[in-house]
Amino acid sequence: MTSPKSISGRESEEISAEQRIPDKNRLALRRKILGRLVRSLVVGLWVMFIAFSLLRITPGDPIRLALGTDATEEAIQVMRDRFGLNKPFLIQFFEYFTGFFTGDLGFSIFSQRQVSEIIATHLPVTVMIIVLSVGGAILLAVPIALSVALSRRPQVTYFFRTATSISLALPGFFLALLGLLFFGTILYWVPAAGYQGEFPGNLKYLWLPALVNCFVLVPILSRVLHSSLMDTLDEEFVETGVIRGVSKIKFYWSYMLRPSLAPTVVLISYMVGIMIGGTVVMETIFSLPGIGRELIEAVSTRDYAVVQGSVMIFGFIVVFTSFVGDLLGYLLDRRVTLS
Amino acid sequence: MTKRQRREGAFAIYTGITMLGLMLLAGLLVPALGKYHANEIGSDQLMPPSAKHFFGTDILGRDIFARVFAAVFVDLGTSIVGVLIPLFVGTVIGTLLGISKNRRINSFVGSLIDGINAFPFLIFVIALVAFLGSGLSSIIIAISLVNWARYARIARTRAVIVNQQGYVEAARTLGFRPSRILFRHIIPNVSSETRAYALSDFIIVIIAVAALSFLGLGVNPPQAEWGAMIKDGANVITLAWWTSIFPGLALCWAGISVAMISEGLSRVIREGSQ
Repeated sequence: MTSPKSISGRESEEISAEQRIPDKNRLALRRKILGRLVRSLVVGLWVMFIAFSLLRITPGDPIRLALGTDATEEAIQVMRDRFGLNKPFLIQFFEYFTGFFTGDLGFSIFSQRQVSEIIATHLPVTVMIIVLSVGGAILLAVPIALSVALSRRPQVTYFFRTATSISLALPGFFLALLGLLFFGTILYWVPAAGYQGEFPGNLKYLWLPALVNCFVLVPILSRVLHSSLMDTLDEEFVETGVIRGVSKIKFYWSYMLRPSLAPTVVLISYMVGIMIGGTVVMETIFSLPGIGRELIEAVSTRDYAVVQGSVMIFGFIVVFTSFVGDLLGYLLDRRVTLS
Repeated sequence: MTKRQRREGAFAIYTGITMLGLMLLAGLLVPALGKYHANEIGSDQLMPPSAKHFFGTDILGRDIFARVFAAVFVDLGTSIVGVLIPLFVGTVIGTLLGISKNRRINSFVGSLIDGINAFPFLIFVIALVAFLGSGLSSIIIAISLVNWARYARIARTRAVIVNQQGYVEAARTLGFRPSRILFRHIIPNVSSETRAYALSDFIIVIIAVAALSFLGLGVNPPQAEWGAMIKDGANVITLAWWTSIFPGLALCWAGISVAMISEGLSRVIREGSQ
């Protein structure tokens, strides 16, 4: 049903199959989506389990490390009880699991706040950077990929491929530093500190980190989109479109982009994980109050509950976006397998 | 067209190898023959590049030229080990999963692999380093613990296909021992895929190692390392741009040279398979 290379005439086949047995088809679709959802939930459970185990596999006693050498034995025991570390492993996990659904992810030893509260205040900044990066990258990658695909000269493709593979090898944090040096201290386009959280005002602080993220995102996206566009160009319906003389906009969208988008959409959802990694570094460099900076701070102060909670949230975000991405990719192109 | 592609691919490979070779050579020669030692604290602090100090000096008066090249083997060595361990472990585990018939183990380990892969690479490594402590060896352990799952996923998919190939069937029919079939017939064909991924992964790991030190989670001072040097320089970058820029350029140079090799190889291989 989902053999990848049944290209010619697939649309007519699909339409006729749907007309013949609509119920069966819809049922199969629903079962597929359900199967993918179950798999996401299983992976999500693993994510929670791995994040939870981090604290328990630490060599040495995490509480002793966090409280320092001059902590009394009594204080350590109180902390151990508070973290539930004196109970059996599986009971601890069960409590963590049920705690998650009531919004209880433990508390921060360092700042004495609930981990869920820390995540709720700092996550929006991180999400905002990622949304800006992905949005900007799509705006840049689509025209680049289209113009390279439609150009007849092989030198253009060669230059495009070399440039994208080189820009993938550049370290984002170094580019961010150069950007900060250039735009911050020479041009004064970026305020040095004092982030403000309200929407359009915060763009002033966020545009440069998002732009640096685009340096990684645009090459990958435009490369994948370019290669699917090249595959689409080989299809007969593109020729039909040219012969029929459809309008430019209709040609670009319906004949070129729409049939080529599925792999790129799936890739975007996959790239969110890499974006998160990059954003953590960006937040540290640009001193933005996102969850990534909290994570780095928590790592250096050995605030394990915060590390655990934020790592888990990042894992969940990736599981969720890859589910949505696979689903969108599948709805755009039924040849994509949901696995 | 195809001839042209091969020529371009070969050009990219040779460029990459030359760039990498020059860097390794400098990494050997500069510490051995240079005037300054990487950790030698001098009296000339934050001096701009000159004939005396080619890349200038940092805030402790250390020669940046000596430090940049003293770090070559630290950065590249850590990254190579951080690629080779997961490559080996991931390929073996993935292959065994791909050819195993036990469905329960298969779906259990399979979902564990998906679970590990769900974490953003850098985030998971940072979290593990938090629990393992900083330093080069814990970076390598952390990267290995995270990265094997990516190789295992690739190897598993590939092993399922290889396992059904005619030559494996033939080897079975000939009555070879399962271990011989595994190591002589299946793993070499699976690892061609994982080794190809290892090259592009190498770039990611080089950058990740430097990024960890940049965040203060990597090498311990005074060890010369590009990410740590960029971080030290970042504090004084408005006064002395050279403190960060030269280690950063070295990092870019290393990344680009590997990218050229990997890009060239993929072009030559794609041309060969057509």
